[in-house]
Amino acid sequence: MIRWSLVRLAVYGIPTLLILCPMGLFLLSSFWSMSGNKMSHSWTLANYRAFFANASYWGIYLQTIKLAGIVALFGLVSGYIVAYLIWRQRGPLRYMLLLFSVIPLAMNYIVKIYAMRGILGFNGVLNSALVWSGLLAKPSTMFVFNQTAVLIAMAVIYLPFAILPIFLSLERIPHSLVEASADLGAPPGQTFRRVVLPLSLPGSVVGGLFVMVLSLGDFLTPQMVGGSQGFTFGRAIWSQFGMAFNWPFGAALAVMLLLAIAIILIAARLLTRYRRTS
Amino acid sequence: MNRREFLTSTGMALVAATGGLSIAASVARAATKELRVLTWEGYADEQWVKEFEQANDATVKISYTGSVDEIFAKLLATNGDDFDVIAIETSSYKRLVEQKLLQALDLTLLPNRANLGPTFANVSSIVFDGKTYAVPFAWGSIPLIYDRKVFSEAPTSWSVFWDENYSGRVIAMDDATNAIVTTALLLGIKDPFNMSADDFAAVKAKLIDQKKYVLTYYAGFDDGVSIMAQGGVDVMMSMGEPQVQMLQKKGIDAALTIPKEGAIGWIDCWTISAGARDVPLAHKWVDFMLDKRIGNYISEKTGYGNTTDLAANEKIGLNYADRLVFLQAPEDQGKRIDLWNEVKATPAP
Repeated sequence: MIRWSLVRLAVYGIPTLLILCPMGLFLLSSFWSMSGNKMSHSWTLANYRAFFANASYWGIYLQTIKLAGIVALFGLVSGYIVAYLIWRQRGPLRYMLLLFSVIPLAMNYIVKIYAMRGILGFNGVLNSALVWSGLLAKPSTMFVFNQTAVLIAMAVIYLPFAILPIFLSLERIPHSLVEASADLGAPPGQTFRRVVLPLSLPGSVVGGLFVMVLSLGDFLTPQMVGGSQGFTFGRAIWSQFGMAFNWPFGAALAVMLLLAIAIILIAARLLTRYRRTS
Repeated sequence: MNRREFLTSTGMALVAATGGLSIAASVARAATKELRVLTWEGYADEQWVKEFEQANDATVKISYTGSVDEIFAKLLATNGDDFDVIAIETSSYKRLVEQKLLQALDLTLLPNRANLGPTFANVSSIVFDGKTYAVPFAWGSIPLIYDRKVFSEAPTSWSVFWDENYSGRVIAMDDATNAIVTTALLLGIKDPFNMSADDFAAVKAKLIDQKKYVLTYYAGFDDGVSIMAQGGVDVMMSMGEPQVQMLQKKGIDAALTIPKEGAIGWIDCWTISAGARDVPLAHKWVDFMLDKRIGNYISEKTGYGNTTDLAANEKIGLNYADRLVFLQAPEDQGKRIDLWNEVKATPAP
């Protein structure tokens, strides 16, 4: 008995201690405030009011959600294409290709951003190729330090996160269904449209939503390739710490971001439930 | 402070050796006194620590820090009881003194203060109610770095960051303090650390206007160097002197200049914690740090300026301390962060 309750304590206690407590603390501190250089522990909604009162904060909040949405859409479409092509392979080749598509996950995230900048940058691979082929007279900075660069870089960096869940949702389609569709005389295109796509779509959208959650919190990629337009909500949160020393306001901003992420995850949850019942 | 990243990457091996050795020494020799030091890598190297330990029959326990935040957190946790002496930069003192985390120095115990160069003997941002809380130790600046291939002569004004001729070929750093104070210097604002509402509006308008010309805001020491080294960049608002050498290593003919409006300077100072156990020993350390030999060593090793051996500063080209505006605690840091965030959130005009 005692041993079991100890195990149970560890199972529930450790996640509570390591995950819930810090999150509870930052939720709590978002209702505190700064008076002078000291944190005041009296309850206030001032931080949330400040967020809604300052157009640049909620403006960048909405812009960041939009950006993450577009990245998710890119991830969904291109991830689906890649995952579908891998799924169509037979034998060991299939898992080899899957492995290759997720290898970038093992690479450091910062290195990937630098690599993207190396490709898109002034003396980058893309510019060299264009100058060499004569399409450009001299290297250009138009591929980097703008919104398009942010989209490209984020879509590439987060693609493996989309491929994996999409592949899994394709993998779960019983092969007999595809065969039955063919036996009943459906050409491949029709089988894809009426069998494969509807069955894999909910899982794929979940993959897209994962990408959205990841890119919502990402403030480094926009910062490093976005130039003067690379400001995102994550960076706004970051700016409240360090020398600014306004942890309560930073916590309130983080809670707002968490809220957006929670809504996305609930949407993902509803989608997976829909898949189970259908 | 991002300039630390540079020290972190270059001084790491040395530091590891230093830390390990001083711990070993403390085990081997049971000294009667102990000094607990909280500092940045490169500021308490083995040879000096050993000399201090032998001269004072004490053990020195060094903790290295990576950020100003960390120093605050560590001091706040126990009201300074865990450390005796700390090295931190001038603009943090207001907050530290207000929170009663430091104690005023007994200047009679610090004869080596006579070694301080004229610019460093009267730094106002470390004096509160007539009491001095720290001694200046190392310094540097936020200079303008330019490519000598593009400029035959150094740019003379920060206005080069608003110059049509270099549009899309300048980079600035993503830092509220540095962006706002440097722009305030360009606009001729009298006290860039206590600005009026009009000053704030003028600085904001100027910074939004700058977005037309800026290629990007870079994130840190290495990031700035990497962008400029990739090409297409003529001028950068630097993060510190070591970037020049880093750029030269990457093949850019870089040089630095302090424009006619002046530039931001920072000074790291040694101070004593409110919870210091052995206050006289802490004073001994602070005084020891003002030894000219250590000043010389700091300049030669880190490339930053020191406050005692002015000849060593000259030798590495750091002869412009009197043209710098040293950082102070601003009137309202939160307002400055908001201003910078608003600038970044506004689309380029």
